[in-house]
Amino acid sequence: MTATTSKADSPQRGTRRGLRRFLASDNPAAWLMLAPALVLLAWWYAVPIVESVVLSFQHVAEFNFAQRSFAGLQNYQQLISDPAFRKSLEITGAFVLGVVPAQTVLALLIAALLHSISRAQGAFRTAYFVPYMTSTIAITTIFMQLFVKGGVAATALSVVGVPNQTWYASTHLALAFLVIVYVYMFVGLYIVIFSGGMETIPKDLYEAASIDGAGPFRQFWSVTLPGVRPFMAFVLVTGIIQAVQVFDQAYVIAGGTVLGSPAGATSTIVIFIYEQAFRLLDIGYASAATVFLLACMIVLGLLSRRFTPRGDRL
Amino acid sequence: MTAYRARRRAVRGVQYGILSMFGLIMAAPLIFVIYASLLAPSDYFRIVAPDQLTLQNYSYVFGHAPIGRWYLNTAFVTASVVVGAVIVNTLASWALARFRFTGKQTVFLSVILILLVPIQAYLIPLYLQIVNLSWLNTYWSLIVPFLVNPLLIFLMRQYFGRLPKDLEEAAAIDGANRLKVFWRIGVPLTMTGIATQAILAGTWTWNSFLVPVTFINNPSMFVLTLGLDSLQAQNYTLPTVQMAGVVLLTLPIVVMFLIFQRFIVPSMASSGIKG
Repeated sequence: MTATTSKADSPQRGTRRGLRRFLASDNPAAWLMLAPALVLLAWWYAVPIVESVVLSFQHVAEFNFAQRSFAGLQNYQQLISDPAFRKSLEITGAFVLGVVPAQTVLALLIAALLHSISRAQGAFRTAYFVPYMTSTIAITTIFMQLFVKGGVAATALSVVGVPNQTWYASTHLALAFLVIVYVYMFVGLYIVIFSGGMETIPKDLYEAASIDGAGPFRQFWSVTLPGVRPFMAFVLVTGIIQAVQVFDQAYVIAGGTVLGSPAGATSTIVIFIYEQAFRLLDIGYASAATVFLLACMIVLGLLSRRFTPRGDRL
Repeated sequence: MTAYRARRRAVRGVQYGILSMFGLIMAAPLIFVIYASLLAPSDYFRIVAPDQLTLQNYSYVFGHAPIGRWYLNTAFVTASVVVGAVIVNTLASWALARFRFTGKQTVFLSVILILLVPIQAYLIPLYLQIVNLSWLNTYWSLIVPFLVNPLLIFLMRQYFGRLPKDLEEAAAIDGANRLKVFWRIGVPLTMTGIATQAILAGTWTWNSFLVPVTFINNPSMFVLTLGLDSLQAQNYTLPTVQMAGVVLLTLPIVVMFLIFQRFIVPSMASSGIKG
């Protein structure tokens, strides 16, 4: 869609000089290389997403798409006054605040440590990526065994004052449990991202720093950290987006009972959407929640952009 | 000098110590799963002598399911997605990272925007599109929509952005055109990024469950995740058998990771051209 407008705009219409200038610019090559991705994105992502935006203004009979009626803003009005929706936003917010700093700092430190050694990097990297590759069901189930009342982790943590109880069944601890499982599974992903990013830092920068008498901490601060900036941007942005979309782990914790168990303590925003769409079969309402979430994320993105230095903006 | 060396060795020791400990914590669940898959069902969660270990859980799985067919389906779908996704996303991210063109920022922000929408939210419209194409129960439904991935475009753009700014100009002086610069210089210098893309696309496709469970219901078209789940539905409740299923599912991607992670190496840019 964008392709046609910009192709028409950029050359001065009709003149041969304009056409020649257009052909000599990056435009043809850029659009040629983007074409496969844009066609696929438009067809498989943009169309279904636009479809859900349309659905958010409709009432849909339970899974009978032929029966739709215009609902105006009714879905949205219902949404704003729905305490379950508001709670799911709060839970998601708390979850993201718990997950993102922990996984980013841990992944950065481990990747930097891994970057500084010369042997067995591959073996370590593989071990760190294991939880991300293993099925969510298996990892979550094992963690549930560890955090059951009297389980290894629950007992160990009771020493520092956390009551020894079944974490995932406690309304106070279930979200913390979800954060722990999630960080455990995702930190390996971000270690691999940082680890690959650090390989793009020129080796002679470290040599120069070392000649200047910089120790390991100084090198981390003035060489590694600036060197992985583009990857830090990637890890923060995708880390937040993926954490907002947490679903699988919460699904397993519910264990076939009501999603968001116990008592809605792990009812994140995507759990809420899934519940509305697939259990209560209210597609219009679920779509309204999606659009609302999207709007929130866009507003947050624009706000954070204002506070980001120009060079680091996406 | 010797004191300096001793200190260095101590630092190294601490580094390897921390990395190993963390590695053990991260690998522990898989080690436990492998161990449990070798136990007789009555020994679950017990420690047994090595000669008590058994392969009976595996023979149960192989005896009750067309697991070979499921492996073949999963391997075909995963290989197709990995190859296709690496090509499509690498091309797009080069354009976004290296070219000046009208609408560049709009395209990139649209990519991020799509990333913001959770798949659960548009799964039903996506399903209807698959139905309209009569693609239910086909490989196409598991491959074509996933050849493009906003996250991989974003990731690869960051890699290409790290290459020196004057790369194109330097190459143009040597008479290379834009596509040649991409293919001869850009791609070889970012093998780490390409390997990371392959790892991610491979892991996601291999382990994907929500999408196949929505698009596939013919058992001969099942991928492994779906097949193992269908076994669970048929009174396949023994935890040791389930553990064998997890091992059968996980080991091939661990091997895949081991192969691709060898390409996570210092890029030539670090030594050759100034960064």
